[in-house]
Amino acid sequence: MPEDSEIIEQIVDRYDGDDGMLIPMMQDLQAESGYLPADQLRCLGRHLRLPLSRLYAVATFYSSFRLAPKGAHEVTLCMGTVCYLKGSASISEAITREFQVEPGGTTRDRLFSFQAVNCMGACAVAPVMTVDGKYYNGVSPASALEILYGLTKEHVTADKEEQT
Amino acid sequence: MPTVTIDGCEVKVKRDATILDAARKAGIWIPTLCYHPAVPSEATCRLCMVELDRGEWKQLVTACNYPVRRDIVVYVSSERAKKARRGVMELLLARAPESQELKALAERMGVKGTPYPNVTDSQRNCILCGLCVQVCEQIIGKAAISFAGRGAERTVAAPFRQPSEDCIGCGACAAICPVGTIKVRLHKEQQEVEISPFKSRVKLLVCQECGTPIVSSEVSEQVLRKSQIDWQEFRELLRLCPKCRRSQTSARLRAASVYK
Amino acid sequence: MTELGIKRFSSLVELEGMREKLLNSRSASAKSIHVCTGPGCVAKGSFKLYEIFCAAVEGAGSDVQVQAKCVGCHGFCERGPIVVIEPGGIFYQRVEEPDVAEIFRETVLGGRVVERLLYEDPNTGKKVEKANEIPFYKVQERIALSGNGLLDPTEISDYIAEGGYTALAKVLSPMTPEEVISEVELSGLRGRGGGGFPTGRKWRSCRQAEGSPKYVICNGDEGDPGAFMDRCIMEGNPHSVIEGMLIGAYAIGSEHGYIYVRNEYPLSVERLKNAVAQAKELGLVGETILGSSFSFDIRINRGGGAFVCGESTALMASLEGRPGEPRAKYVHTVESGFRGKPTNLNNVETWANIPHIINRGGKWFAGIGTEKSKGTKVFSLVGNVVNTGLVEVPMGITMRRIIDEIGGGIRDGKRFKAVQTGGPSGGCIPAEHLDARVDFEELTKLGSMMGSGGMIVMDEETCMVRVAKYFTDFLQKESCGKCTPCREGLAQMLYILDRITDGEGQVGDIERLEELGGLLEGTALCALGKTAANPVISTIRYFRDEYDAHILDGRCPAKECRGLFRYEIDPEACNGCGICLKNCPADAITGEKKVPHVINQEKCTLCGTCWEKCPFTAVLKV
Ligand SMILES: Cc1cc2nc3c(=O)[nH]c(=O)nc-3n(C[C@H](O)[C@H](O)[C@H](O)COP(=O)(O)O)c2cc1C
Ligand code: SF4
Ligand code: FES
Repeated sequence: MPEDSEIIEQIVDRYDGDDGMLIPMMQDLQAESGYLPADQLRCLGRHLRLPLSRLYAVATFYSSFRLAPKGAHEVTLCMGTVCYLKGSASISEAITREFQVEPGGTTRDRLFSFQAVNCMGACAVAPVMTVDGKYYNGVSPASALEILYGLTKEHVTADKEEQT
Repeated sequence: MPTVTIDGCEVKVKRDATILDAARKAGIWIPTLCYHPAVPSEATCRLCMVELDRGEWKQLVTACNYPVRRDIVVYVSSERAKKARRGVMELLLARAPESQELKALAERMGVKGTPYPNVTDSQRNCILCGLCVQVCEQIIGKAAISFAGRGAERTVAAPFRQPSEDCIGCGACAAICPVGTIKVRLHKEQQEVEISPFKSRVKLLVCQECGTPIVSSEVSEQVLRKSQIDWQEFRELLRLCPKCRRSQTSARLRAASVYK
Repeated sequence: MTELGIKRFSSLVELEGMREKLLNSRSASAKSIHVCTGPGCVAKGSFKLYEIFCAAVEGAGSDVQVQAKCVGCHGFCERGPIVVIEPGGIFYQRVEEPDVAEIFRETVLGGRVVERLLYEDPNTGKKVEKANEIPFYKVQERIALSGNGLLDPTEISDYIAEGGYTALAKVLSPMTPEEVISEVELSGLRGRGGGGFPTGRKWRSCRQAEGSPKYVICNGDEGDPGAFMDRCIMEGNPHSVIEGMLIGAYAIGSEHGYIYVRNEYPLSVERLKNAVAQAKELGLVGETILGSSFSFDIRINRGGGAFVCGESTALMASLEGRPGEPRAKYVHTVESGFRGKPTNLNNVETWANIPHIINRGGKWFAGIGTEKSKGTKVFSLVGNVVNTGLVEVPMGITMRRIIDEIGGGIRDGKRFKAVQTGGPSGGCIPAEHLDARVDFEELTKLGSMMGSGGMIVMDEETCMVRVAKYFTDFLQKESCGKCTPCREGLAQMLYILDRITDGEGQVGDIERLEELGGLLEGTALCALGKTAANPVISTIRYFRDEYDAHILDGRCPAKECRGLFRYEIDPEACNGCGICLKNCPADAITGEKKVPHVINQEKCTLCGTCWEKCPFTAVLKV
């Protein structure tokens, strides 16, 4: 894919081809595609003259990298100490139960990707959940589910609009 | 040259030699798993713990990578050192309960078994010492495998857990594995060599006479490239297994009636 | 910066000139609206407030001298969003969008105070006008955070006007690198990233180490859950970090710097990048800085989401584009670190202290704190306290003062149980040690540590076994997995803790945990593994009775561990609304409408749904 290789070239140039900047490069790449497709990693590895195994090791070591496509929405739940003490574990359980999605995964209908992160530094308003970057403070299992069900509708109506 | 006193025994070693080097020189055994002289020590297994005397206090250090830079006093058989090594071995036994090699080493250390259940199982019988990864990258120059994942989920894998495109089927990883986890399998019918558990398969060169597999074709290519002796005659020789080559040569010699 | 008529400083004099010019251009009567854009306030919508204020400023016309600026975290996150009106320092809290118009009309234009939005001192019941009169701020002493709440972090001119880069100027003209190091040594500053290693001594070793180039790195990984000190400095006053690094690089003899920022902090990356770019433009970063022979460049690198990358050698591996796995430190990083070269790594807060030490002298800094712990420390005070937020206190202050005076005590009138310091591998300190002083050695003696400054307060309803399990789980997931004891040992510990909190603990489990703890401390490769057992060991030390209750009696005293307590309906409080009955997934609740309901304990799966849903808090944990 020539287009891919163009993007990758741009990214590599952005960091002067410095292989020490591999992680930011991979993050930029992920920002383009939403995840890290194998072919793009292969291509990036060739540009930097790094073995594919190194890129794979990095991609699986750091929790921010994804090797599979993500959902339409991005749901992040804080599992930092304070959020945890204030009940984020039961929120996570509720989401897993209702949407059959484990932290780190994507719902089967690709509605949203669900990530549990360590601390978002907003402990004062714990527990915190973000949906596509928007903060929801002091969420409970019930309110979290409500927010996510809201997503479903939004998504469906958007689809319908597209069809008409 | 600094002096290392190990369990009361004095040895002189070069600066930046390790405690393990010194112990070997003194004839004192320290169990090791992730250490191999061919590659730099990463000290992942933590089995070679010894106690270093720092005057006011004593510290546990890994013998395989602690550099000797001045005169030091070390205890291999102190209670604390033995307890530490036993603790590490017990954890390893819980992880890889089926490895015969590991069991044998444990026995030699006087560790009878493990009180721990098997709770981590990211890769069967693998103790994640990393020697295979190191040898593939640093000695063979292929980096066909690497670590994947982290923490309890860490494994050794080829990219995307698919058969590696870079594997040349040399089997160095299997040779260096201290617990016998990596195996080289020959698939005679397909004329392929497989490195398990990585699923990589490479075509074998097969003896044109008798059909015995000789070596992975990629390895032979790499050897030819590296040694720069890529002339036709040599390639001809590679078509035969050593046995057939010998008998052919002697047949040729006989035909040439050298001995007549 | 071109609007200020300056392109690039080629001498110290030019920097001073600009400062004067900036100060003169500010008329005394000009008003300034400071909107907090710290993470807590942003989460409560302060960016929107800032926008509305900006619109108001624009609408006010040119005859009113007023500006709105977003500033770094004020610390009092509990009361956010915070808006301060200068001059006068009128401190408004919990400001909402509709309040903006009123503030603008009354205070900015009219010079009157909006009583309603002031903080009310809970002890006296009186409204407080200024920040420094609020108990939360009174006890604090701000050095590293001094610019937060004051400066617009996106404008280098703000920093310069307030005396920024004077320390750099001072270092570049009359001081030798040796003198700089001596000054830092004299200050007694110890690393704020966890280990507490004397900063001056680290610089000296790195200066003396053979090899070039030398690298200077700022550790902005801040992986501790519950901590956001470094984030607030990077986002609230990025130039203070950059200036600190410049001074360190000059002292050490380095030309290359890196700032490693954790992936979860995109705003920090943006602010730092912007700050470095501005400093470059003015010749404060780059070649021949301020016309001297000193050159120093800074690159910003992002982490990828791995706690262990805060560890120095793992961070360097990550900077080299590899998985963040630590390596042995028998040879120190000041000798052989990043790319095998001498490398000096310090924490964000450590760097932010440097300009102050240079400006005011090492002696001044050493005058604050205890014998071995000098200066101040920033903590993020979170958990079950009334006032959560970011606090900077002199070393040697007691925990009790932090929690009671600054934190305002425990929330909802509950009782204090423990405070967890030192991040995930810190320890829990119980009530009987609350008079302990905040000091590197003292905290270690108590089985905890200073760490990078998380302080999590827990009330009586917290199960300490679960707390220990939480941190063990965290560390197990974040362990790099390289070495046996950490990878396997933590998994074994977690297995036992799981069993205990499930009510299936066995006699001997506590001893087994202690044994594994000892093994980790002695044999793990890096400090993550070596200290990973602290939460378990410290809770066993102080709360052994809770472990015993779980193991021996199958009871969770704090009623947190599912299965180790029951749910019952209080017939007095229940009015039979039927909500629990409808929601119970196990059909375990019975009862007629308007009559108190009952839970059938046989059927109950202890899922807690009724407890969550009951609008009358009639479901009790017993
Ligand atoms: C597991 C682990 C995580 C760490 N995380 C951080 C961190 O997030 N930020 C930090 O500044 N130091 C962290 N440290 C400490 C650093 O290794 C290092 O000691 C410190 O950054 C040195 O700077 P200082 O001397 O200024 O404190 C961590 C250490 C360990 C073992
Ligand atoms: S102690 Fe843990 S984090 Fe540190 S090297 Fe070992 S496995 Fe990795
Ligand atoms: S042999 Fe030394 S740590 Fe493995």
